[in-house]
Amino acid sequence: MALLVTYADKKRAVQLGIVLAVAAWIGLDAAAGGGEGWARVWARLPILLTGNGSGWPLSGGFALNIFLSLCAMALAALLGTVLGFGMLAKNRLVRVPCFFVMNFLRNSPWLVLLFAMLYIIPFNIRLFGISIAVPAFVKAVIGLALPTAANFAEIIRGAVQSIHSGQWEAARSLGYMPMAIYWRIILPQALRRMIPGWMNLYALLMIATSLATVTGIQDVITTLNTLLAMENERVIVYFYITALFLFFAFCYPLALLARRMEQSVKGDSL
Amino acid sequence: MFNLDYSWLADPVYQGWLIRGTLTTIELAFASSAISFVIGLFGALALTLRIAWLDAFIELFVEVFRNTPPLLQMLFFYFTLSTIGLRVTDPATGVSVPLLSAFACALISLSLFGGALCIEAFRSGLDSLPRAVTEAARSLGYSRWQRFRRIEAPIASRICLPALTNIMTNQFKTTSQASVITVPELMYYAGQIYNDTFRTAEVMILVLFIYVSLVSLLSWGMVRIERALAFPGYGRAH
Repeated sequence: MALLVTYADKKRAVQLGIVLAVAAWIGLDAAAGGGEGWARVWARLPILLTGNGSGWPLSGGFALNIFLSLCAMALAALLGTVLGFGMLAKNRLVRVPCFFVMNFLRNSPWLVLLFAMLYIIPFNIRLFGISIAVPAFVKAVIGLALPTAANFAEIIRGAVQSIHSGQWEAARSLGYMPMAIYWRIILPQALRRMIPGWMNLYALLMIATSLATVTGIQDVITTLNTLLAMENERVIVYFYITALFLFFAFCYPLALLARRMEQSVKGDSL
Repeated sequence: MFNLDYSWLADPVYQGWLIRGTLTTIELAFASSAISFVIGLFGALALTLRIAWLDAFIELFVEVFRNTPPLLQMLFFYFTLSTIGLRVTDPATGVSVPLLSAFACALISLSLFGGALCIEAFRSGLDSLPRAVTEAARSLGYSRWQRFRRIEAPIASRICLPALTNIMTNQFKTTSQASVITVPELMYYAGQIYNDTFRTAEVMILVLFIYVSLVSLLSWGMVRIERALAFPGYGRAH
């Protein structure tokens, strides 16, 4: 039987080869004396992942990054939906300010916005005479949610506007009310196109949670820096590679999934 | 609630820091964008050759750089290249100093990050060329290089331009993270200023406005270029 090797097969074989080569290199390196470095990383891995030496309860580390990204995404979804529909509003008085806010937030660097939120939000908020301390975590959530909300809104606007105008006209001629057109005709179609964009945005947000170290919360980078202070120079590289791999292992599957969904959505433009 | 005090801004020392920081930021952003474009162009061209092993390597490079935080990349490059990496002995003092400055490390790190994004952008630009156009060029007897130079590159570069705008503005924003590895750019000087004056909120608001206006200016300029270069009647009409 003749072997039919396609281009994609060849490529996959080479990629598998690279991964195996990296694994082999790590193995060789471990045998040649790098084993000590990996042993250090292995001993510290629970702290990196959970912020806790014994691995439980979760108090920081990479788990905190995930929790932070989920909280920020929830807040961003809320703000972004308001902003997105604000940009689609017919009324200029609503639309123009929404556009302005969206552009401002999209054009500001994540790190600077995070720093700004850290210092603009007061340490204590007085509510009904009771002063409540605002924890750094809440500031990090708000600081990360703002630029995410702007991108979220832009995805909503883009998807709704990508729906062919014939859909609007047909719905109107059938006598649908404007709200009903949105709910029954436009949004069900637009939602399919929004989801891949939102997934990419979430991956981007997860990557950006690494910046939250500036607020002083015990996230993976803060933990990493604390750990590195105790290690010698040879071992530090292993720690960096581990931290990079943690983010890659979380974000790459999301990116793959988003791309697959994008492909499936591509065909249905009407 | 807010009593903002900007009296420190009258101090020429702080003004000088802000200006120097802004210039370093712009320099870093433009240099790294230029290098990323070159990386992206050669990467995307290499992909059109359809060599399986090269394709595999490029894809791996793109995915690794796209799916890890630029902050960590920068720390990693700073550490490997500067702290334990190449060192030269200063002939005057005899002290061993790192060959690459923090700025050079940030430049290398940002260029690779942007390069990975650019490869993706250029590849999808070349992919979205109408098949008929390439076929027409072939049937007219254009050679491979002529076809690229005269037909594919002019059309594909216009298709990628919006994506490039995105990458450039993103690059500009990411330069703020170089302050973490002590590159003396705007964010770094902002830290210096509020360490001096304790006017944290005021400094951050000012810096935020500087960044937003620079990035807005950049994206406005890129949109102008897009409009000026657009083929009349080709592509989406806005």
